[in-house]
Amino acid sequence: MLKFILKRLGASIGILFAASLLLYVLVINSGDPLWDLRESIADNRDYLMQQRSDYMNLDMPWYQRYWTWLVGVGGCFALKCDLGTNIQGIEVSGILASAATSTLRLVVLATVLAAVIGIAIGVLTAIRQYSGLDYGVTFLTFLFFSLPVFWAAVMLKEYMAIGYNDWMKEPSFSTTQIIIVALLFGFLMQVFLAGTMRRRIITFAVSAAFVGVVIPYLLWLNFFRYPQLGPAAIVVLSLAVALSATAMSVGVRNKQVLYPALITVGLGLGIYYATFSLMSEPNTWILIIGGILAVLIPGAIGHFMGGRHRRIAASVSAVTGLVFAGLTVVDHIFRAWPGFLSLKPRPIGTIGSETPNFGGDFWEIFLDRGAQLLLPTILLAVISLASYSRYTRASMLEVGQQDYIRTARSKGLSERTVIFRHAFRNALIPIATIAAFDFAGLIGGAVITESVFGWKGMGDMFITGLKGIDPAPVMAFFLITGTAAVLFNMLADIFYALLDPRIRV
Amino acid sequence: MRAQRISKAVAVGAALALALTACAPGGGNAPSESAGTSESSNGSNSAEPANSGLADLGDITTKDDEIKVTVGAPEFIGYNTNTPQTYSTYNSAIVDRVLSGFSYFGTDGVIYANDDLVSYEKTSDDPLTIKYTINPDAKWSDGTDITTADAVLAWATQNANLKNAKGKQLFDSVSADLGDTVPKGPEGDPEGKEFTVTFKNPDPDWQIQSWMGAPAHVVAKQGGMSTTEFVEAVRADDAKAITKAAEFWNTGWTTKPGTLPDPELIPSSGPYKLKSWSAGQSVTLEANENYYGTPAATKTLTFRFVDDGAMVQALQNKDLDVISPQPTVDTLAQLEALGDAVNIQKGDTLTWEHLDFNFRDKAAFKDSVELRQAFAMCVPREDIVNNLIKPLNPEAKVFNAREVFPFQENYDAVVEASYDGRYDAVDIEGAKKILEEQDAVGTSVRIGYSAPNPRRTDQVAMIKSSCDAAGFKVEDAGDPKFFAPGGTQERGDYDVALFAWAGSGQITSGQNIYATDKPQNYGEFSNKEVDAAWERLATSMDPAVHLEETKNIEKLLWDELFGIPLFAHPGLSASSADLENVRHTATQSQIVWNAEQWVRAE
Repeated sequence: MLKFILKRLGASIGILFAASLLLYVLVINSGDPLWDLRESIADNRDYLMQQRSDYMNLDMPWYQRYWTWLVGVGGCFALKCDLGTNIQGIEVSGILASAATSTLRLVVLATVLAAVIGIAIGVLTAIRQYSGLDYGVTFLTFLFFSLPVFWAAVMLKEYMAIGYNDWMKEPSFSTTQIIIVALLFGFLMQVFLAGTMRRRIITFAVSAAFVGVVIPYLLWLNFFRYPQLGPAAIVVLSLAVALSATAMSVGVRNKQVLYPALITVGLGLGIYYATFSLMSEPNTWILIIGGILAVLIPGAIGHFMGGRHRRIAASVSAVTGLVFAGLTVVDHIFRAWPGFLSLKPRPIGTIGSETPNFGGDFWEIFLDRGAQLLLPTILLAVISLASYSRYTRASMLEVGQQDYIRTARSKGLSERTVIFRHAFRNALIPIATIAAFDFAGLIGGAVITESVFGWKGMGDMFITGLKGIDPAPVMAFFLITGTAAVLFNMLADIFYALLDPRIRV
Repeated sequence: MRAQRISKAVAVGAALALALTACAPGGGNAPSESAGTSESSNGSNSAEPANSGLADLGDITTKDDEIKVTVGAPEFIGYNTNTPQTYSTYNSAIVDRVLSGFSYFGTDGVIYANDDLVSYEKTSDDPLTIKYTINPDAKWSDGTDITTADAVLAWATQNANLKNAKGKQLFDSVSADLGDTVPKGPEGDPEGKEFTVTFKNPDPDWQIQSWMGAPAHVVAKQGGMSTTEFVEAVRADDAKAITKAAEFWNTGWTTKPGTLPDPELIPSSGPYKLKSWSAGQSVTLEANENYYGTPAATKTLTFRFVDDGAMVQALQNKDLDVISPQPTVDTLAQLEALGDAVNIQKGDTLTWEHLDFNFRDKAAFKDSVELRQAFAMCVPREDIVNNLIKPLNPEAKVFNAREVFPFQENYDAVVEASYDGRYDAVDIEGAKKILEEQDAVGTSVRIGYSAPNPRRTDQVAMIKSSCDAAGFKVEDAGDPKFFAPGGTQERGDYDVALFAWAGSGQITSGQNIYATDKPQNYGEFSNKEVDAAWERLATSMDPAVHLEETKNIEKLLWDELFGIPLFAHPGLSASSADLENVRHTATQSQIVWNAEQWVRAE
């Protein structure tokens, strides 16, 4: 395995080197870096052109320019990177740092969401192949896939930003709107839950009625401006999670699993009050550590109380703990919402990764960044749904034809075990490659999304550099995306080996 | 707000800003006392402006509020906008709020003195001598007096005679000729507030010469010397002594995106000072509480970096208060759909479109003024303006001059003296007759321009349909490499060039375009009378002579048909309806030219 990795690495470095040479030559020949000055009327035009020529070493032959760049980059091995300066005299390493941060913030969440939702849709549509749901979802994912990004962004801004912000001033639903939402929700629920006609009708009626009651109730509470959860709701929801997780794994009668889950909820309530002030003004580290503890402590409780079911008890308790912690966070976000609204009366902005000069506490800043991230994330995720869901679906269907699936069914395993333990795991293998490539590609930035939503990321750095015939930023872009592509490609291979024992070397 | 000579050295930014229209800067306009622009703004003002300069807002106190504006997507570069790397209209839009100059352009390109900072008078015409008196109260935001030393620094940075060890100009500046035109630089006590400058030759554009830029005390300190020592070294041509200071001026203010230099390095001489910078997102300016003039009307001014396509919705969502998108019919329609929520500022700009004949070797119109006249007769100027420009600027007019704009005072007088209106209406029959007389029916006319540019493609199509009827054979020779080295323009493979000049507010810059063998005389037009008239204009300090010679030049250019002026480019910006004092300007200072006066109505 090590030899394999090293061989791959060696080849990759060779490819990167050759590609960098090719790209450098292409970039510096892609246009005239003095074009803007040529049309200038300045009487010292020639002087300005000479200045820029000197600055960008335009009078050197291409191999010398490339060599100069390469020597600077070669310094990276000695931890003294010199990526050069751009046409405006700014260090490219500085630009790269802010561009990469901005792009990562933009794409990580979108990629994860697209992968998780896409795979879920793929599995669901494979299980219900050729059903109305399958056709409907397939239609929608392809529709999203083919959306022109620019147009979709404008639509999102129009309805989800401007429209929502206008609505937020005085949240209301007319009776007609409530009826339509209720009917739609009921319809979707019966499509997803499926079953016999009788069951579908019941699902439809119950969910439509539920929405029909909840919306007026929330309006009456003024929930949209003053959302609230409170410890009681958290406890009820966590209990529901504890009970259903127990029921789904070993059954509620099994006290070895149920008790640790219940204890977790009780403990959570105590911690909820104990950490209340801390959580009102936390920082990122507190949240991360809290999240880890919320899994570890209940896991330990489950482990020690679970007896012979200790593995299941530990996971059930851990899930319960995580849900409790998550709801606690939501509770604090809800509490921060009215304050956030007073700072930012139009919560969702159409441009930028943050509101300039936004001075709020931790949760308010969190909400601001989140609100700014919302639209581009939806857009990016929705567009890449199709590839994940289609690949997963095809892969699931193919695996479903295999002999070992038939064997698994015939030996009497439950459908759930067949699908998740035998089919799904194997179907994931090709998906790993796509996910790796997808992520490597996304680091390259989403040029159009970045420009419509006013983020300055890797895509922007690349395009600005290319337009100005300015090699340094373009090459920095190449270094990062090229390395990422190579690296993730290799990771995908390693994943292969982990997921599929047959190809372990 | 700063108007300076280096705007002559236009360069990076201006050309970038004009990239879409592929204009080349240039042109000029004679100063006039006051004039109304053709702006058709429905914005509201808290005080009605008396002329095209800044309105007098009276006694105002800074309002604790934030106004968000965008002039485009490019990122902020740095505090010093005068190096070749940092010179950009986007950067200047921000820095000009922080660093005041001695003069500024009004909305119609007229030059006004910055009364808050300075008063000046011409004490002699020969040699041209100007006396500047800096406001005794004028201080940098760190409390240091603004003095002659600052003017000496401004002069030093534009002085090519100060050279470094490698023989290059010590200060890496976009401007290099001040050392020759004003050999002695500003003369006066470096710690005092009065100085005089003496020009070697008459310079009608002396008012926009830049004598005030970066803080001398900061540069001197970074160079390891006192301000007085610095001034003495500059005056003694001691390049070695000030090398460190010059290096700081060249690169010391360039920082990592998102990090402003140390506050003590970036004091302000203007109504705002730099407060914070979020990389790729925004730069925030805060009112300078030590400002010696009329304070800024609003405390916080935030510049966001936003792409054109995202501006209108951001304005609608109140993410922005003032936007200046590229003027297109679509953008205007979107803005108009917002109704009363926004004010739209429309109007002309100092950038003007024209058809220039090629007078070089193989060109069709080279030797025949009759053919040029025939072509001028069939170009549908009125239709071009009606169809392509009026939708954006209802007040737009066909442009009948080159050196003055329709919204300027002298325009009517100049046009009356130089042009009799003979090409106002399309005269196909007349053109046909000339072509037949000259035995030139079927003459092929290649109209070259920098493509892609949909508006120019439309213009060529309109010219083609009209002129083909008269017997010309018009070809669309649009090419992305029109201006590139070895491109159509350089090779001379065109008969008529279609492009635009951006007026710089200078009086003499047209000499570079119309006089023999000048660098912007692309078509190699040559006329002795025109050359002589330019010489007289450029060496005179008398506005009456300027006007007279402008009339003279315009008449010669019409008679000889150097080219055909078409229209002034429309400008477009929009602001929230509750903002007061947002005013369109025709100049390159852009909509932010009077940003310190913007305020939200109660």
